[in-house]
Amino acid sequence: MAQSTDHLVDQIAQLNAARNLVLGDAAFYPQIVNGVLPLIGANTRLELRRWGSEFLAETFASPALASTQKEQLAPNVLQTLREILELPEKDPMVLKHIVQNAASLYPLVFRHIINHPAEATAWENMTAIKQDILRRWDSFPFPVKICCIKFVQRVVHVQTHGPIADPRRPDQNETSLAIVPRNHAILSLPNLEAEASGLLDRLLSVFQEESSDPLLVNATLNCLAVLIRTRPSVGNKIINAIMNFYPARQVRAPITPSVRVGVKSMERTARAVMINILKRNPNHPLAGKMQQYIDRLMQSRIEVADEASRKRGLPTEPTDGLDNTKRAKLDAETPALIKVPPLPPGPISYSQLFTLTEDRELSNFDVKQLPTDIVLKIVVPLLGRVDQSMMQQSIDAIRMRYQTIQKQQAAQPPAAPAEAEDDDDYEPEYQPMDIPEPAAEQAEAVSAEVADLQPDLVSLGPFVLPQPPPLTEDEAADIGRSAVGRVFGMLTSTGVAPNPAKGKSQQQLGFARLAGSTFDRDAWVTLLTRLATRAPAGLEPGSGKVEKGKAPISDSIRETLYRYILEDFRGRVNIGIMWLNEEWYNDRMQMEFTAQHRREEDEEVTVPLHYDHWVLRLLDGFLPYLDSRDTKIFIRFLSEIPEVTIPITKRVASLAKDPERVNLCIQSLLYLIMFRPPAREMCLNALEDVYDTCMLLSSPAQTTPTLTIPPHTSDEESRPLAGKLLAKWRPKKTEEQQQQQQPDGQQTPSQTPQSQPQQQQQQQTTLASRPITSSESNTPLTNGTDESNPAPPPLQQQPQSQPDATPTTT
Amino acid sequence: MAYDPRLSSAGTATAPSPPPPPPPPPEAMGGTTTPTTQPQPTSTPNEANNNTVAESESSSSSYKLRFCTVCASNQNRSMEAHLRLSTASSPFPVISFGTGSLVRLPGPSITQPNVYNFNTTSYSQMYDELLSKDERLYRNNGLLNMLERNRNLKWGPERFQDWVPGQPRVEHVSKGDKGALGTEGGVVDVIITCEERCWDAVVDDLMNKGSPLNRPVHVFNVDIKDNHEEALVGGKAILDLANRLNEAASQERKASGADGWENGVGEARRNFDARVPDILAEWQEKWPHLPALWTLAWL
Repeated sequence: MAQSTDHLVDQIAQLNAARNLVLGDAAFYPQIVNGVLPLIGANTRLELRRWGSEFLAETFASPALASTQKEQLAPNVLQTLREILELPEKDPMVLKHIVQNAASLYPLVFRHIINHPAEATAWENMTAIKQDILRRWDSFPFPVKICCIKFVQRVVHVQTHGPIADPRRPDQNETSLAIVPRNHAILSLPNLEAEASGLLDRLLSVFQEESSDPLLVNATLNCLAVLIRTRPSVGNKIINAIMNFYPARQVRAPITPSVRVGVKSMERTARAVMINILKRNPNHPLAGKMQQYIDRLMQSRIEVADEASRKRGLPTEPTDGLDNTKRAKLDAETPALIKVPPLPPGPISYSQLFTLTEDRELSNFDVKQLPTDIVLKIVVPLLGRVDQSMMQQSIDAIRMRYQTIQKQQAAQPPAAPAEAEDDDDYEPEYQPMDIPEPAAEQAEAVSAEVADLQPDLVSLGPFVLPQPPPLTEDEAADIGRSAVGRVFGMLTSTGVAPNPAKGKSQQQLGFARLAGSTFDRDAWVTLLTRLATRAPAGLEPGSGKVEKGKAPISDSIRETLYRYILEDFRGRVNIGIMWLNEEWYNDRMQMEFTAQHRREEDEEVTVPLHYDHWVLRLLDGFLPYLDSRDTKIFIRFLSEIPEVTIPITKRVASLAKDPERVNLCIQSLLYLIMFRPPAREMCLNALEDVYDTCMLLSSPAQTTPTLTIPPHTSDEESRPLAGKLLAKWRPKKTEEQQQQQQPDGQQTPSQTPQSQPQQQQQQQTTLASRPITSSESNTPLTNGTDESNPAPPPLQQQPQSQPDATPTTT
Repeated sequence: MAYDPRLSSAGTATAPSPPPPPPPPPEAMGGTTTPTTQPQPTSTPNEANNNTVAESESSSSSYKLRFCTVCASNQNRSMEAHLRLSTASSPFPVISFGTGSLVRLPGPSITQPNVYNFNTTSYSQMYDELLSKDERLYRNNGLLNMLERNRNLKWGPERFQDWVPGQPRVEHVSKGDKGALGTEGGVVDVIITCEERCWDAVVDDLMNKGSPLNRPVHVFNVDIKDNHEEALVGGKAILDLANRLNEAASQERKASGADGWENGVGEARRNFDARVPDILAEWQEKWPHLPALWTLAWL
């Protein structure tokens, strides 16, 4: 025995040395495998069989050995394995390794037989081994059973259709039914497939059994992942089988710690399989169900397996004898009533409305002093513990208060006087001392804080903006002036240009148009002119009573308008015309108004008239700048101003002093004579003056403003023109002149007929009236006959007398 | 990609195996290679000396489960457990990994960690770098001590996802990695993670690898907080778990040993795998603050 033991030890040592050799260099495998096979055969000692079966299993599993070499080694090894298995072998170690090895060998042999149908012996051995293993599967000891699971999984894996990576390179493909030729001599596709299907069902049956060993379940689960991944044809079947498996269902009383370990391991392994599939293929058609399964697994695990840990958790909770919830339970039988104090009289705030406590200190406490997070920490648990009936009572009380106040406010908008009597109704007779009132109060304090953020409707009346202090007159005037200045500034600077379409639209509007409705420059001008004229009508002090240094606002507007027009009188002559029309109209209206409201005792009521003043001023302003090309503008001005007075005609006539502007003067007068009949006589008189003056001018003693121009030129220029006109309009005059020229010194005096209301264009009538006028004006002209006393006296007299006459005081 | 598909398919179809070299007797091969590899006493041929016989006999009688410890960075918790398991009175074969994408070590601030790549950076490199950066800081926060410990255990951190189960790890034995003895085959029986995240990652990765070895593996999680103190406690707990598991496995082997497992009685007759849930439950009772998790997966 000792000898044999020594021998055995020697043998094992030798074998280990051989194993180390091949582990160091896989190239030696074929020699070593073939060398050791006889030593470890069916009839050798158990130790050798164990060593041999393990070594062979290692060999055919080794990634270091190429599969082609394994294929070549397989037939011999299969023979040996079959012999050992059919011994019949009983040692679990040997069996375990043989089954392991069979799992490794099966794909190799299968592939070999596909390519070498002639070598039927190997396949025959393999099939025999397979049948033996399957037959003894259930009776095998546990470790072998586990390995059987793996073997069956391999068989299923091989005998189902796998993916074809590249049809041109069958050697690259995974070993599966897919690479078996349909007409294979030995392998029958339908049989193999049917066998695989049956084996798979047997494999999955572990999930359906009443009570499965965690070991078998885990072993099955862990080897199924590869099947699901690489064999789509059976993948869904496997997944569904797993999803119908709930480890928690396997639990049988008593729950021992090892049962708990087993259940937990099965759950975690099932979850791991699902996650493994989901990770590789997140879009798996069963992904949703798999996720649900995972969730349910985790849930059931908490319920069953971790029950103990939950039980342990409970006692750790602090048990407080003074816990509010417990006290609330004790108070449950006595329905607590809240004391609702009456509201204070007078207007109340929201915080008063919501205050139910009578404790002064408590109601004065400002909750806002607490940080929000602390308030939250306090309030949330408190709200959870607030007694339902108490809360309801409090809410009702507040609601009643609120409704009362609302009613009172609706009845009498100014604040409510007192609601004490209303609130007395809620005063309960029973006041329990031990109610946990702070809870409700705290909650209400918080709501009061929120309410305070809103405007206090109860105590605040409508807001009235206080009146500003009255402006002094100076301030008002200043502000008025600055406002006017702003309007003018806008007129000039921004150039609110009249839009081109305006002309048309105005024409279309015709008489229907409203002044200043277009909001362009013209509109602003209209506004300004009316502001200057009509607006202060009746407000101004009587004429002559204007305090010095206190020009009324309207005069300052006029002044500004005047300057504005003079800045560019050619472009703004229409503004001037508009303004003067407004002035004239205003004057008329004022006179009419004053006449109507005149009382008897008022002897002299004066109306300040502005037209004459401003028309002359304007004329004086721009006359010096007129040149001969401004004929049209000037004629337009003269024709469109509302009234032509003698001073105006005098001013026009004075233009004739400048030889360059004689034409302008004569043409303007001619226009007025022709188209402005009321002014015809005035103009003719002026023309006559021009005519006469021209003659007088030739004398060297005369003093005229036109110093730059030599008198003889103006004489030469104006005289024939004026004479021509006069010949037409006052033939008598010219005749006289011509006659007088010969006697030298006799001049017919011309008298302007002020009151002549001749409207006729016909020369006859005018000529008929002429004798009277000429006769009237005889005397002054006689004065003028004196050569040394020139025209100025009559020229000065008339402007002075005329304005005095025009301010008609009615 | 550049192969001619016809050529390659033709090659496999005919499968002309290259003429194998003249097969030398295994013993001779073993004898010639042992001086160079010299991995372990058991690898020396029997003829060399008789001491190894006794040794191999004792090692075979005391069966050892092979362990794998896993944490996020393969630095603190998994390495503490690695140390415990590989330096126990009866040392276990153990390998260790991290499941993170990168090795992350605390830096001067929480936003400035020291980051290294798995598999290509050794513990010694990290040690030297941190030493030169700020010795005082990394001495005080224990990083240098930890790296010192780690670099005495193995070369550098390895990433679990890059691990190819079954790939021989002979070179680790020759490098003298602690716990490498017995892991030459590149397989383990038990994986212990130190965080649920890592357990999920390990189980998921094993599914992705497709279990090419057809070999069952028990995957445990022992939740350990990632600090030095907890790692010490956790390492102790993991060693306890390993001892319990290994005892069960040894009993199974003995029971089903020469006399056949039918001859065993009681608990011993029950196989190791089936006892795992019970063992874990018992263990959890003793370590209630280290919540555990388990499954049976495939390598």
